[in-house]
Amino acid sequence: MQQLNKCMHNTLITIAGLAMLAFSVFAVSNFAWAGEKPSFAPDVPHPTNGSTECVQPEDEMKKNHMNYILHQRDETMHNGIRTETYSLKKCINCHVPKNTTARFGDDEHFCSSCHNFTGVSIDCFQCHMDRPMGEKPLGKSPHNAQISKPVPTKVAGTSIENTEGASNNE
Amino acid sequence: MSNSEVNISRRSFVEKSATAAAALSIAPGVFLHTVAEAKPAEQAVTSAVRWGMLIDTTKCASGCTACVSACNTENGIASHNRPRTDQQWIRKVTLRDKQTKHEISLPMMCQHCESPPCVDVCPTGASFKRKDGIVLVDRHICIGCRYCMMACPYKARSFAHETVDNTVDYVPRGKGTVESCTLCVHRVDEGGTPACVEACAEAEHGAMIFGDIKNPESEISRQLVEHGGKQIRADLGLNTGVRYRGI
Repeated sequence: MQQLNKCMHNTLITIAGLAMLAFSVFAVSNFAWAGEKPSFAPDVPHPTNGSTECVQPEDEMKKNHMNYILHQRDETMHNGIRTETYSLKKCINCHVPKNTTARFGDDEHFCSSCHNFTGVSIDCFQCHMDRPMGEKPLGKSPHNAQISKPVPTKVAGTSIENTEGASNNE
Repeated sequence: MSNSEVNISRRSFVEKSATAAAALSIAPGVFLHTVAEAKPAEQAVTSAVRWGMLIDTTKCASGCTACVSACNTENGIASHNRPRTDQQWIRKVTLRDKQTKHEISLPMMCQHCESPPCVDVCPTGASFKRKDGIVLVDRHICIGCRYCMMACPYKARSFAHETVDNTVDYVPRGKGTVESCTLCVHRVDEGGTPACVEACAEAEHGAMIFGDIKNPESEISRQLVEHGGKQIRADLGLNTGVRYRGI
């Protein structure tokens, strides 16, 4: 009886070993060819603006993009540092085509193409825009607001001259 | 490497100086009240400046809501036709003296206090004051408890009850967090003025002045020295960044 058990035990170990071997052969066949994308990997859309290089090497971005974005988030929010390089806005402006119909959640969207595949949920786009913004609502950039408009100051019922001329510039 | 960096920053400096010079000589006799200096994008804000606003209620026209609509457009705030819960960063308030029937109209928004009660009560640190005096909500950290809304004596904050689908990329906003006037921080960081101030000037009321109240040379400081500016609920000792004249 004991011998039978031992025999079964050995058989099980052999089967397990064979299974592992089979899996590793499968895995190698999928990953071994350098530069070739495994058939089941998602199609991540490439930037459409012609740029071929990201702000960091691709491997680094694949692994650590979240750290760059998180760091920039706090710097912008709390210290008013608005450099573009690692900002989420820059990611979107570069990687998502301007007039795309793909929204975050669709497999065609740059972020969700991979996040759907890996099953990692993010909540960035509950607030942030998932596509580049077109025209600013006021039709002018905040950059244009560098100098405040001349304020017509009423002095004893008369306004200072020239202010009307300035407002005609609109 | 370092040489080219120096050259780039020098070039942008020269360009900025040229722009500033061009702006100053935009037309003879035109008086520019505020020539804000844009800080470089990579530079953190400092406590060397404190942004503030002076509102002249004698110039603020009753019935005019230019500042409110400019704020809504700039920050992508839309009404759900539910006035009790709609977000509101700035609103017009009318004060009526019961005795004399005299009415004053003024815009009311976050007063950007030096000692903000909203920051005191926030359990997560989402409500915070930047070094340059702008009080903000970090919506990444906000859990939507609305404690700050109860603490604010100015009723300046709103809660996003519903999904926000008309955000603009420079003001991300979302459901389940508290929000309020940011003094258009995205503009200020680039040397601009808040949308409401601009709209007020465009409507030819010029009741709002924005600037650095720590800089004695700024228009707002000169006006404050000359005419003074009252705090609303000064008794609370919050030292507000928004001051009013004519109340």
